[in-house]
Order: sequence, then structure tokens, then C-alpha cells
Amino acid sequence: MSLTLQNVSKRFGGVVASDSVNITVPKGKITGLIGPNGAGKTTIVNMITGMLAVSDGQISVGGRDITHASADEICRARLARTFQNIRILPDNSVLENILIGFHRHEKCSTLAAILGLPSARRESEKIVKMAEELLQRFGMSALADFPAGGLSYGHQRKLEMMRALASEPEFMLLDEPIAGMNDVESDSLAELFQELASTGMGILLIEHNIRFVSKLCEYIYVLDGGRLIAEGAPTVVLRDPEVMAAYIGGEHA
Amino acid sequence: MTNILLGYQPLFDLFLLHLGMAYSQWLVLRAGVFSLATAGLAAVGAYTGGILVVSLGFPAPVALLLAGLAGGIVALGLSIPLARLRGVYQAIATVAFIQIVLSLNIYASGLTGGPQGLNGIPKTVGTVTLLIAGILTVYLMYTITNSRLGRAFDAIRQNEAVAASLGVSIVRHQTLAFIISGALAGVYGALEAFHSYALAPSQFGFTFLISILAYVVLGGRNTIIGPIVGTAILLLLPEIARPLAEARMLVYGLLLILVINYLPHGIADTLIERARARRLSARLAKSDSVATTATRN
Amino acid sequence: MLLQQLLNGLVVGGVYALFAVGFNLIFGIQRFLNLAHGAVFMTGAFVAYYTVEAGGPLILGFLAAIIISGLLSVLIEIVCFRRLRKSGDAEFGAILSSMGASLVIMTVWQWISKTQVVRFPFDTVPVVIFRFWGLRVSLLQVIMMVAAVVIVMIMAWFLYRTSFGRQVRAVTDNEKAATLVGVNPNRTYSLTYFISGALAGAAGVLVGLAFNNINYMMGEPYLLFGFAIIILGGLGSIPGALLASLIFGMGQTLAIAYLPSGLTTAFIFSAMFLILLVKPTGLMGREEAGILRGRR
Repeated sequence: MSLTLQNVSKRFGGVVASDSVNITVPKGKITGLIGPNGAGKTTIVNMITGMLAVSDGQISVGGRDITHASADEICRARLARTFQNIRILPDNSVLENILIGFHRHEKCSTLAAILGLPSARRESEKIVKMAEELLQRFGMSALADFPAGGLSYGHQRKLEMMRALASEPEFMLLDEPIAGMNDVESDSLAELFQELASTGMGILLIEHNIRFVSKLCEYIYVLDGGRLIAEGAPTVVLRDPEVMAAYIGGEHA
Repeated sequence: MTNILLGYQPLFDLFLLHLGMAYSQWLVLRAGVFSLATAGLAAVGAYTGGILVVSLGFPAPVALLLAGLAGGIVALGLSIPLARLRGVYQAIATVAFIQIVLSLNIYASGLTGGPQGLNGIPKTVGTVTLLIAGILTVYLMYTITNSRLGRAFDAIRQNEAVAASLGVSIVRHQTLAFIISGALAGVYGALEAFHSYALAPSQFGFTFLISILAYVVLGGRNTIIGPIVGTAILLLLPEIARPLAEARMLVYGLLLILVINYLPHGIADTLIERARARRLSARLAKSDSVATTATRN
Repeated sequence: MLLQQLLNGLVVGGVYALFAVGFNLIFGIQRFLNLAHGAVFMTGAFVAYYTVEAGGPLILGFLAAIIISGLLSVLIEIVCFRRLRKSGDAEFGAILSSMGASLVIMTVWQWISKTQVVRFPFDTVPVVIFRFWGLRVSLLQVIMMVAAVVIVMIMAWFLYRTSFGRQVRAVTDNEKAATLVGVNPNRTYSLTYFISGALAGAAGVLVGLAFNNINYMMGEPYLLFGFAIIILGGLGSIPGALLASLIFGMGQTLAIAYLPSGLTTAFIFSAMFLILLVKPTGLMGREEAGILRGRR
């Protein structure tokens, strides 16, 4: 049971953005995906999450083929994600932002929802309780009724995490989750990620910060020019001459 | 006193009729659909109801339900192309739809009375019926927006990528919002038909479309009170200041420009947001210690 | 007979082009639908009419119409759109805001014209008919064609051969980058709106002359035709709008000639619906009309 990419490719016209990429994200572990700017990380993320059509290859979650599934079907296959540039719902309160994360679990009939029948109301009450528990766990209970648009950067990142967790995923794709955070904030998130992995969740961590990745991941993949140039344990991979060249070429040239 | 109230009864009826239409427009906007089709769907409902009663002798309540059904079905049909379009294109497509309804209405004069309109509709709907309909409508809008559907609509409107990533099917929810909006427009179109003896094709044209939009935009697009406030203000304004009645469209035009530029959330939404902000900052001051620890975490 | 219809359609299409190109120019540069464009068009017709009625020559009325319509259009940009550009919800806001402007302008002309239909004096354009190859062309039609071609050519030269044109296209591509290299976006927008309004005003005068029926509601059907034309040509594409206008003019003339009279409008807008469905980008549009929903 894992999140697997098999020979996944993406072509835009004649331009190859991803070239036969193979990645395996096992459950209960944090797997890293790194690469310099323009290496094609975003293309991979967009293909996994159903925002971009896959040209070739296969993507599966827990044995279920999601290559051509739509974004909402992928969520129902129990793969959740966070966004590189934070995307909260600014008009809604913090609590409401988490409630939408439970959408996958809401089973009452459409008619019951329209008419406000007891079954629908009970379900709403239940997920409010669950959302409040999540807020408690993240120490943000006092902010429940605040408009999400006014939260600090760190809180917005956490809110996005809670929302993704609410869908109870088996796999989570974290797209640069500590961008713009200070060390204290990123350390507390690192703990959280390890805790999630220890409960059996498979995490794919896409990051820029090599130090952060090598601290958390047992296995990392390095992407450059749309193809994988190295994979393995961080200590080994980061000493790979090709990886070093890609990073030096990519960031300092 | 009762005389004065009775004098305002027609205005109150008009308010209730337009309020229902405003909710039809409000619901689709809330779900992030850029549709202006309410006018066309109301025409479908009004003529369905009118023709069923006048030409086919249906009892009014049955005709009312069938009018709602007709509005919903046409909306379902229309939602198929709309689902493939975005933003501005949805607006253009729905304006085209209104235009098609208008011209078919005039063309099919054997059925609809053409330019002369449909006459001799028995008046079966009065203030009481409209009031019941109004209360029911507000109740339904309240339950919908507080259910999983409303939460999905809010998410889709604000960010489609987020909604989809959390398992919300955008097409299914927008279609549903559009069908409910269409059924609502159909029912209120028929209520208007049964309330006013006669129907004219021009009744559901661009003046209607602009009025309905103005109600929703002025009142507020994201709270349930928005359409009530907007409809009440815009209908009462010409009554309070008589000279404004002559320049109704000028006033609507100026208000649209001003509200969109300077009060984009509308009157009710802005007031509610302010009240909430005040309440929250008061609570924050009271339990400062709790909030600070929360913020530090 | 068919050839005559096509010729008439071509002439009408030329006037539509003046209207639609201006409409599409604004969409191309700001992604805004300017629903007040029909009102600007009507303003052109009224300005020319009142100039002629006051004893001025038609050519003066034409120039006055172009200038005043252009300025009105600039005013619309400043009042209705400038603030919105900076806010997030601009696409929807622009529709409502320009709808508001349209209502205001219409009401003003309704007052000035006292809700009456006004007509140019009978001999404003002498009735001269040229005949060749069995076709009839009136002097008015010649004027319409020449005016349309000349104005479109001036605009094309302006847009593609002058530094202003380069600025417009730079701002269209990327406002921030253009600002960095010293382009003043507000000035560029004002100029674009002036051109757009001037084109609409010219179209208004020509339509006013051709159908000799000037009233405060005359802009509405043209706005709707404008929708159909830019959908056919592709939102934002100037060459697309030109081509689509000619096709639309001929198609409409043929539909009026050969279809049951009440069905022309329904036919036009059903066709437009079909285009939206089959090819939302139109003949030459580059903008993607469909949303990227999931993978589809």
C-alpha cells in the first residue's frame, strides 16, 4: 500500500516537463522530493493532485489507479494536499475552513440537506465537534470564530494542515509547507509531520530547504530538468556529484 | 392606520415576489456560478404556470409545482453548457439564454400570446400566499447554506482548487445550485403570473435582470439577510423620495457603480462583518491571556 | 438577390466591426466586459444628430461624436473600473459597474431626447444609387464602407505601428513588468478606452444614418450583437473581431431575408451558444474559456 508514480511523463506540446518519473511513497514514512527551481516539482504535484493531465504513465494510491481521476475523486481516494502558496477561504471563519475539510465524510442525502432534516443537522453538529477537537489539538481553539483571512502566516499554514487532516487521508502531499516560517515554527511542524507518519500516514514532502528534508526523510528523490537524477538516503544522495552540480548550477549560475 | 398599511400592500407583495427572484440569483452567485439566467428562468416558470391554468385549466397549486419543475429542468439543461464555461463566458451565455427565451416567447404567439402577452389569468395568489412562500424560501436558503451543500458552495466560490482538493465535486454542486435557483425562479415566476392577471414578454427582460442583480449586490452576496435588505431598500427608496421614482434606473445605475466600488460586500454583509469584528475584539480583550497563548503556539 | 444580400451584409458587418473591435479591445487589455459600450455607441449617434440639427455639417457631427464618445469611454474607465482593477473580484464587479454606467447614460439621453425617436433630416446624405453588375449600392453604403475601412486601418496602424501600440500590448501581457520599464498603465488604459469609445461613437453615427432611428435604447441590441461577434471571433482578439463582424453581418442579413421573421434573434443566439460549446475560444481567440477543472 503506497502512493506510486510509474513512468509518469508530462509534455506541453514538444516540451517535456516530466520525463518517466518513478516515485514510491510508503505508508508511515516521510518521503522527500527536492530539486532546484524549475526542476518540475510543481508539474509532479499538479499531476498527482489531478490539476494537470498526465501524458504517460500511471499514478496509484493504495493500489487504486488515479492517473485520470479528477481532483475531488483523488481526495476520496484518501490523498490530501496542502498548497505551496497558502489557500485558505478568506471569507469564512477558522472553524468553517476546517468544516469544509470534512466534506468527504458527510453522507446525508441531498434532500435532507436542502430541507434541513434532523439527519443533516445531526451530521453538521458532529463535524463541528470534530473540527473543534482538531482546533484544540493544534492549540487554536480561541481563534475558531475569527475570519481566516486575518490570521498570521503561521496560523494559516496550520489551518491548511487541519483542513487537509479533516479529510482523514492515508497519504498527504505537502507542497513547501515551511516556506516563510522561522525555525521555531518549522520545528514544531516537523514534530507534527513525524507524529502523523508514526500513525501510519504516508507523506510526500516537496521542499526547497534541504536541511529540513534531510532531517525528516529516510528516502529522498531529486528532480532536475523534469527527470529524477538521484534517489536514496539523504546522506548518500546529497553527496552525489550530479545533485551537487544541479543545485550549484540551478541556484548560483 | 389600517388604511395606510393597506396602501402599502401592493408594495409588500412586490417585495415578496422580487425577494424570491433575488434569492434565485443569490444562490447561484453564492456557489460561484456567474449566471444571470434568473430572468429567463422566471419567464419559463411564469408562462408555464399561466398557460397551464389559462389554456389547459390546471388548478393553480398544481401549475405552480409544475412551473417550479419546468424552471428546474430548464436550468438542468442549461447547466450542461455552463459547466464547461468560466466567469465572463457564463455571464454571456446566460444573457444569450434570456434573449432566446424572449424571442421564442414572442415567436410562439399561439401559445404565449406573443407581444400582446398572456391575459386573463385568474388571480389566485394574494399577500398571505406570498408571505408563506417567502418564509419557506428564507427557511430553505437558511438550511441549504448551513448544510454540507452551503459549505461546498462557499468553498467553490472562494477557491475551486481548494474545494476540489477536499473532495468537493465542483460540477455536481454548481449544477445543483443552478437547479435549485431555476426551480425557485420558476415558482416565483408562476406566483407573479397568478398574482397579476396578465404576463408580458418584456416583463422578464433586462430591466428585470438589472433590478434583481442590484438587490443582491446592494444587500450582500454572502449572508442570508443580504437579499432582504437590498430588495427592501431599492423598492422603498422611490416610495420615500417620490422624485426618485421617475429616475429609478438612474438611481439603480449610480448605486451599482458606488456599491461595487466602495462597498463591494453590500450593506448587510458589511454591517454583519463589522459587528462580528467588534464582538471578537471585545472577546479577545476580555480573555487576553487565552488568546495570546493561542497566538503564540 | 443573394449577392445583393451578401453585399448589404458586408456593409452592415463593417459597422459592426467598429463596434465590436472597440468592445474586444477593452476585453483584450483588461479582461473586462464593458457593458456600457452600447451606451457609448448610442451617445455617438445622438451627438451627431444634435450637431446636424443645430445646423452643423455632418462631418462636424461625425468628428464631435467620435471625440465625445471617446471621452465618455475614458470617463467610464476612471469611474467604473479604475478602483476595481486593484480588487480581487474585478471580473464580476466590472460587469455590474459598467451595467450601472450604461443605465446612467441611457437615462440622461432619455431625458435629453424626451424619450422620443429622433431622425436625421432627409437629405443629410443625398440619396444616390450606384448600379453595377446588377447590384445596387447607395452613397450611404459607400460612406459606411469607406468610413469603416479607414477607421479600422487607422486603429490598426496606431496599435501595431506606433510606440503607443507597443505600450498597450506590453500592458496587456504584463502590467507589472510594463510599469517597471516605465509605461504608465493608467495613461495607456485611458488611451485604449478613448480609441474604443471613438470607434463605438463612429459606429453609432453610421447606424443612426443607415436606419435613421436614434433612441435611448438603440445600444442594447448592438451590445448583444457585440457579445455574439466577440464569441465568434474569440474574446480579446482584434483580427478575430473584424472577421467575425463581417461573417455576422452577412449571416444576420441572410437570416432576416430567409428565416421566419421572429426567429432571427433566437437563431443568432442559439448559434452563439453552440459556438461557446464547441469552440469557446472562437475563430481566433487565445483565451481559454473552459475552466481547468481537475484534469479536464
